[in-house]
Amino acid sequence: MRKTLPALIAHIAIILAVIIVMGTLGLIAAGLGAEENDKFTGEIERNVTLRILENDTAKEQGYLEELLNAFNEKYAEYGIKAVDANMDQYTDLEKGGPYGYGPDVLYQANDALMKYVDGKHILPLPIEQLECVDKVGEKAWEAYRAKAGGQEFTFGVPVNIQQPLLFYRKDLLPENWETEWDDDKNGVPDVIENWSDMYRFSQQIRRDSNGAKYGYMKSLNDGYFASGYFLSYGGYVFGGEDGKDVSDIGFSKNDGWMGGRIIRQLASVMNLECTEDTITRNSYSRMAQGTYFATMTTPDVYTLFIKEMVNAGYTEQYARDNLIMTDIPALPVSGDLEDESLGFKDMIAMGGVNGYAISSYTKAPNAALAFVNFATSYGMINRRSELLGISPARSDLAEALGGLNETIKENLDKGSIYVMPSVRALAQVWTPLQTYCATIAKDMLDNKNVYAGAEKLKEGIANVDKQIYDAIHTLGGS
Amino acid sequence: MKIVEKFKALPDKIRAIPKKLSDKLAGAKEILTQGNGKVTASMLVMGLGQLIYKQWVKGAMFAFIQIAFIVYFVLTGATDLFGFFTLGTREGNAWYGVEGDNSVVRLIMGILAIMIIVLYAAIYVSNVKDVYRTQCAVDTLKKPVGFKQEAAALLDKSFHKTALALPVIGVCVFSILPIVFMILIAFTNYGGDIVPPALVDWVGFANFGKILSLGQFAPTFFKIFGWNMLWAVLATALNYFAGLGLALLLNKKCVKGKAIWRAFPILAYAIPGFITLLGFKFMFSYGGPINYYIQQGGGEAVGFLGLDAKWSARFIGLAVNAWISIPSTMLLATGILSNVNTDLYEAARVDGASSWKQFIKITLPYVLFATTPVLISQFIGNFNNFGIFYFLRGGLYADGYFLASDTDLLINWLYNMSIDNNYYSIGAAISLVIFVITSIISLTVYVLSPSYKQEETFR
Repeated sequence: MRKTLPALIAHIAIILAVIIVMGTLGLIAAGLGAEENDKFTGEIERNVTLRILENDTAKEQGYLEELLNAFNEKYAEYGIKAVDANMDQYTDLEKGGPYGYGPDVLYQANDALMKYVDGKHILPLPIEQLECVDKVGEKAWEAYRAKAGGQEFTFGVPVNIQQPLLFYRKDLLPENWETEWDDDKNGVPDVIENWSDMYRFSQQIRRDSNGAKYGYMKSLNDGYFASGYFLSYGGYVFGGEDGKDVSDIGFSKNDGWMGGRIIRQLASVMNLECTEDTITRNSYSRMAQGTYFATMTTPDVYTLFIKEMVNAGYTEQYARDNLIMTDIPALPVSGDLEDESLGFKDMIAMGGVNGYAISSYTKAPNAALAFVNFATSYGMINRRSELLGISPARSDLAEALGGLNETIKENLDKGSIYVMPSVRALAQVWTPLQTYCATIAKDMLDNKNVYAGAEKLKEGIANVDKQIYDAIHTLGGS
Repeated sequence: MKIVEKFKALPDKIRAIPKKLSDKLAGAKEILTQGNGKVTASMLVMGLGQLIYKQWVKGAMFAFIQIAFIVYFVLTGATDLFGFFTLGTREGNAWYGVEGDNSVVRLIMGILAIMIIVLYAAIYVSNVKDVYRTQCAVDTLKKPVGFKQEAAALLDKSFHKTALALPVIGVCVFSILPIVFMILIAFTNYGGDIVPPALVDWVGFANFGKILSLGQFAPTFFKIFGWNMLWAVLATALNYFAGLGLALLLNKKCVKGKAIWRAFPILAYAIPGFITLLGFKFMFSYGGPINYYIQQGGGEAVGFLGLDAKWSARFIGLAVNAWISIPSTMLLATGILSNVNTDLYEAARVDGASSWKQFIKITLPYVLFATTPVLISQFIGNFNNFGIFYFLRGGLYADGYFLASDTDLLINWLYNMSIDNNYYSIGAAISLVIFVITSIISLTVYVLSPSYKQEETFR
């Protein structure tokens, strides 16, 4: 025992000493910070490959290939090769990037890109080096600004503006619309200018067709589109100056509850399908068949409507001439579709700004910046607009293209587009909101009328705010 | 009563533990008191005693293990072990290329370091026992066992050690390590905004405290738990007996074209579950074919899966789950039924047993015996069946429920509250709760089942 026990203790002591000494040295080494240095030196890296993440439509329509070829040709002397990242368009940089699996340049919506800022997964950009810096409007840049360490940085370069639009069948307007449905005689049907006339026109279609046809149809439980009704009356998603204060949920603030009344009224000219996603799914075919007169969606699905009309027996030219995309109608100031006495005001719709960002894990930040500069140039954005039908964020191009492009740009500038807040907690907004919208729509269609009065509507939307708050803070809060 | 008896038997097993421990301690004491200089040498430096006994290969192997262990700890093990406790000390900054510590990697590497220490300790003990065995052999005038003899024993008498060595290492790295990792995550603040490169910290039982202290949590938990239990029992029973019934039906000699009839359920089984679920969701929607025919027949559209469709949505969930799951039970039962000894039925018929009696006394016990473990796994699968209500009726919250709908199962609720918002630590804590519940149920059912009690019955 006298010999063996000390040997055992000595062995344990040696092992412990190794662990403690080396562990402590490791801690000390970890404390020695690496030198911080700016990645954008202005010197373009040579002989590098850039992985570009684009959306599926850009790939399908051949735009990405054109872009890559043009860029590779221009930067051939540097040996830079931009390639398709071959990843899902919604790839999460946060999960793969730190381990070297992410793309170098990403094209996504502002809310998707800006969630990477907290973890510093995308780089703050020296936008003054970009050609488009003074061509893109201030509101579009704002979507990509965030504070870090007390300083404000820009993390993305706006490419196009997303806004819901009204789609309607011009050929389904009554022949006498110029006398019956154009009170202001401006040559534009009132039904597409304001929701009150759209509501009345929808009632008329249902009456005339004995309930077989509909005017405006939309899945009212779709929070992205339905949120606009609440935002238009003073509601907001998150509070704070930058709209990112997740402790302040505001759909019920100001007169936000009126959005619920509008939704109930719109539901009354639809059917129970508006409480689920059936209408979103079948709106293409029903519009083509003439069962629906109008719906609201994003412009990227325009070709799907045209295809369905062609399938329904129309020529493509006829379809393009009669399937019209236009700005969304104005809402009555009174918050009641049956009361126009106070006039109308622009509807505020939830939207976003898609753009490019550069991964913090890229080995070639300067080459990536050169790519972003090239991809956001007038020529490339113009080509993107031609091929993909996007609404450019560049003011010069929006003005040159005119029409809806200019309108959407103006909508963003004047605040009629509520840019989706770039915070992770946004994911918690949709389920409570869509449950409420479906509930009040069903309440109207089932003639229960629990939500017929203002008080109940106020209570309902306040409960939505509470549910969103709970979803964000109950488990996440410290 | 049977459960009570099982629990009554527990104290005997617990009482036996001190005896086992004292035996082990006596063995250790013997080595410490009786060990000679060579044993002491092996205690100080692994393998040294064996080398002195001229067991060159074995001694060198033990020595190599000690050297490798020290080298591992010098190079990375010590840092990994410290990292387990600190979960990293330097936050990364990708903007400036500062790599920093990844807390999640630190945790995994720390667990690995601890597992290596445990493994090393086990080898150390075996090294000491081995040299002491050699001392005893030499003391009784036997020759120390040579390497060739030991190697031969590993392929013969001790073959179980050789055969199990690699699988045990595999199980440790690929099974135990991830499970321990998941359990430990429940004791950290990993999730939400605290994901790498942000540094994660240990928070003790705070996540469990948070779950228990939430006022809104308890009522919803019990409502969902009650429905979850009912769902798991009903879904498992329905799938099992319907699958067995279908197998028995298609086993009947009078059924013509069995191959074709069997193919239909297999087709349902072969289609990816989520596509089937989306298909059923469409069928039962307001704009779907079922409501179309109801309206054509003069009725009003029915919200089968709508906002206030609590029980109709639950029944549809059960039916759709049966549609997806019955084929697998049917295939399983078909295979088992083909092995039933037909003499048993012949004897039963001679004794005048009715078909029902034959089913109750022969078929059912036999199939139950063979499929109890599968039945338990199906119960667990149904208890944690995420897809059914996520696809059929996801995206809504019901009145009186906290962040859940009245068809949500615990797993769906867990998703709403944690994973959907990246609160991994809370998710891990709730998973542990679910794990404890399902483990208790499964173990109880298994221990009481014929598969466990009458293991030899059908052998």
